[in-house]
Order: sequence, then structure tokens, then C-alpha cells
Amino acid sequence: MENQSTIILALFWLAAGGISFYFSLGNARVWTSIAVGFFLILIGEIIPGALPFLPGLQDPYILTMGHIIGTIAILVMSHGFQEYYVFTRTLECEGRKSSVYIMVAAVLLSSLIFLLINPPPTPEMRKVVRIVENTNWVFLSLINIDLIRKIYINIKDSPISNGFLGFIGVFVCIFLWKGSQLYIDVYNLDVIKDQYPIRYQISYFCNFSGSLLSSLSVGGTFLYLAKLLR
Amino acid sequence: MILLPRGIPVKEKIDPGRINLPDALRKLRSGTFTGYLRFDATQLTGIIIFEQGRLISALCEEKGSRLTAYDAIARIFSASLAGGTNLDLFRLSSDLALSIHALLHGHLLYSGQEIKLIDIKSLLAQMKEDKLSGCLRIYTQEHIALIFYRAGDPLGFFHDGSTDLETTADTSLSVARLPGAKIDVLSTTADEEQILVDLMESADITKLWNSEVEKIASLRLQNEEAEQRSQVSMEKERRKKILQIFGTVAEAQLGKIGASLVEKEFEKIPVVDEEKLELFYASIAKSAKLVAGASRIEQMLDEMRRNARTLLNPR
Repeated sequence: MENQSTIILALFWLAAGGISFYFSLGNARVWTSIAVGFFLILIGEIIPGALPFLPGLQDPYILTMGHIIGTIAILVMSHGFQEYYVFTRTLECEGRKSSVYIMVAAVLLSSLIFLLINPPPTPEMRKVVRIVENTNWVFLSLINIDLIRKIYINIKDSPISNGFLGFIGVFVCIFLWKGSQLYIDVYNLDVIKDQYPIRYQISYFCNFSGSLLSSLSVGGTFLYLAKLLR
Repeated sequence: MILLPRGIPVKEKIDPGRINLPDALRKLRSGTFTGYLRFDATQLTGIIIFEQGRLISALCEEKGSRLTAYDAIARIFSASLAGGTNLDLFRLSSDLALSIHALLHGHLLYSGQEIKLIDIKSLLAQMKEDKLSGCLRIYTQEHIALIFYRAGDPLGFFHDGSTDLETTADTSLSVARLPGAKIDVLSTTADEEQILVDLMESADITKLWNSEVEKIASLRLQNEEAEQRSQVSMEKERRKKILQIFGTVAEAQLGKIGASLVEKEFEKIPVVDEEKLELFYASIAKSAKLVAGASRIEQMLDEMRRNARTLLNPR
């Protein structure tokens, strides 16, 4: 049952990641950061996490790298939303799409090198990295919700303004998804789930449904935007 | 309009604005020229008379006002420099040049009388009785003849192509017989016939000319500045109008951010023309991609192009 649900989740994220990456190719530069950020969720977390039959799943480097890529994902998309907000205030938009791809690739490569030149990741170290990742997701989701609200106000009567309401929904789902995972990790609920079964069940349900709804809302929002922007 | 018969044409249809008039007048002086220069502009006629190389008379009539001597020369210079003036040069005999001088400075007793309504015999009798010195000017649209009198007795006739006073009245009579012929009666005084100062000797006409050159240059500069100001004002008005229309179009397609984008990108084009507007369209299309799809942007640009074409090429 758990396997089936993770495969379903993986399929949804595969679709969402594909749509967002495709979206990043054909639109304005600022959209590239946002779309690449969402695409990195697929690469960093869902593939090693949701497809247990993939080779190398148990490799500590791959698993740790997955968390690092997840952290980079939220940073890149937050940067994209910040740029979009700056654009709505100053109407200035600079830079090239290729720079975004190159910079993201460079950061990923640097992280991998950092990981490889240090001692092999232990499960404890991986947990710390995951907590750092989820902390970033939780707090940046809240910040992004506020930022996107401001963007929506600035472009309220434009053709794509409703897409930003969609992104608010996306980050609410992500907040639930990552927040519940952070809660489980911080309190070690997966270890002491027998003592707190209800809390664990609620957290687990929030984590799963948050991830599912996030993938659906990401895919839906990018599809909606793609329809409006093409 | 100063009505004078043409003497023997020396030069005709010269643009006096293209020559240095003081130099030309000096050449006439050194060549002991006798005759007159006629300057015709739209609302101005100027006459300069030479007698044996002396500039004895200058007259300029414009919109009912009459200038003489240096004032006339200055006005003739300024009209020549302003352009659109025609200069004809006619040779005359000394007597005729003096007679014309006297005539131009004489008094108009009767003007524009229809010959067929006048009792010529009575008029001539009256002139004889009054011992009138002066001239009868008989003219139609195309021809002019002058009959000079001294103390009531006829001196001679002057008509187109004459260089000297003629004794036969044939041409003058033929002018009088033409339909619509009119007659002016002008009187001169003995004093006026005697005033024969060489105006070129008593004043520096080059200075007069240079002064007019400066005035004209200053006037042209003022006109150019005024034109520039007017162009700037027109350009401002046109910019304002185009900006307003573009803002409305962009707001309809992209919302308020569209109008703001238009304002921002429009500031970057200093002059509104087709070429600069293409740069504007490219910039606005690039920014608009962040808030709208390609078809909507294309629709917006089409509408802007249509409106701009109408405003830039109103006909």
C-alpha cells in the first residue's frame, strides 16, 4: 500500500517536474528560476525518496545529495519570486536564462564536490541535513506566501494574476508537507511513534497529502500559466 | 505699385538676394550708368534711379507706405535679402532719368481715372492754364505711357522700350485707346527737379547693406528658434497623445502593470518615429512576456502600431 502510494506520488511529481521544466524553457527569464526550483524538487527528493527500486537508493551520498538539492530548490525558486516581485515594483528585468541554468548547475556541482571531499554521510548527518532542508522549506514557504501575495496585489488585473493565487496554494501545501516532516524529525516521531501514534499518524498523513497536493498544485499552476503565457 | 514704363532692358529677372547689391551699385556708378533698377516683391516695389553714375533717387512703396532715399535703400536691401524679390535693370537717357526722378517724388493730383470718363481736352487746357509741370500717366494692366509737361507745355512721351523722350504721341495714344485704360495726373515742382544729391557719395551703402544682412540673419535665427520651439511643442503634444493611447491599450491587455510598463519604456525613446517605436515595441514585448502570453502581446502591439501609424501619418 505504501509502495503504491509512493509510486503515485512519484508519478505526480514526475508530471509536475516535467511541466515546470518545460515551462522554464519557453518563457521569460524570471520564470526560469521559479520553474527550475520546482523541477529540482523532482530531482532532489522525489526520485530517490519515492522510487525505492532505483539503483543506489541506499547510497548515503545520493540520499544526502537529494536533501541538498531540495534545499537548493527552495532557494532558487524563492530567488525567482523575489526577482518577480522586484520586477512588479521597478519594471526592470535583467539577466539571461542560460545564466540561471549555469548558476544552478554550478551550485549543484559545488555541493557534490563538498560532499565528496568530506567524510561519508552517516544517517545522523543525513538527518541534520534533512532538518536544515525542511527548515528552509518551512520558513521560506511562509515568506514566499507573503511575497506572492504582494506580487498578486501588484499585478491583480493582469492576465496571469490568478496563477499567483495558485502558487500561494502550492506553498500552503508545501508548508504542510515539509512542516510535518520537520515536526517528525525534530521530535523523532518515527522512532517513538508507538508512544504518540495519533501525532505520528496525523504528521504522516499531512506529509503524504501535502506532498501529493503540492505536486498536483505545482503541475496545475504551471499548466494554467503555460496556457496563458503561450 | 509704382507704374513706370520699361526703358531698354539691360538685365531682367535677377534675384537681388544672390548678388552683393552694394558692389553691383558701385559697378553701375563706375560705369556711369543712367537708368533705373526696379525691385518687385509680393507687396513691395522699389526704384533706384541712376543718372550718369550718380544714385539720384530711391523710392520704396509697400502696403501704402512710401519710403525715400536711405530708408528706401535699406528696405530694398532687406527685401532683397529676404528673398522672393525680382530685379530688372533699364537704361534711359539722362533727361528721362531726371524726369522719372521728378515724377516719383511729385504729387499725385488725380489717380486711377478711367480715360473714357475724362474730358481730356479740358484737362489739358486746365494744365496749360495752371502752367502745370508734371506728367500724365496712361496705363493698362500691360502697358504704360508717360507724357511729361513743363509749365503746361508737353515735353515729350515715354513708353515701354524708349530710352529718351519721344516727340511722337503714337504709342501713348495707342495705350489710351486700350480698353480699361486709366490716367494719373502728377505734378512736380522746380525744386524737386533740382535735388540731385548722389546718395552713394553721401552715405556708406555697404554699411547699410551689412546692417540689413545682420538683421536678416538675426530674423532667420529667431524664425528658426521659433520653428524649433514649435516643433518641440508639437513633438511633446504628439508624445503625450501616443503615450496616452499606448497606456490605454496596454492597460486593457495587461492590466495596470501594462500602463506602467508603457510609461517606463516610452521614456527611453527621445523622439517618436517609426524606427524608435520599433525599439519600444521590442522592449515592451520583452517585459510583457512576464505577465501575458504571446498572442495577447501581439494583439496589443498590433493595436499600438495601428494607432501610432494614424498619429504619425495623419493623411
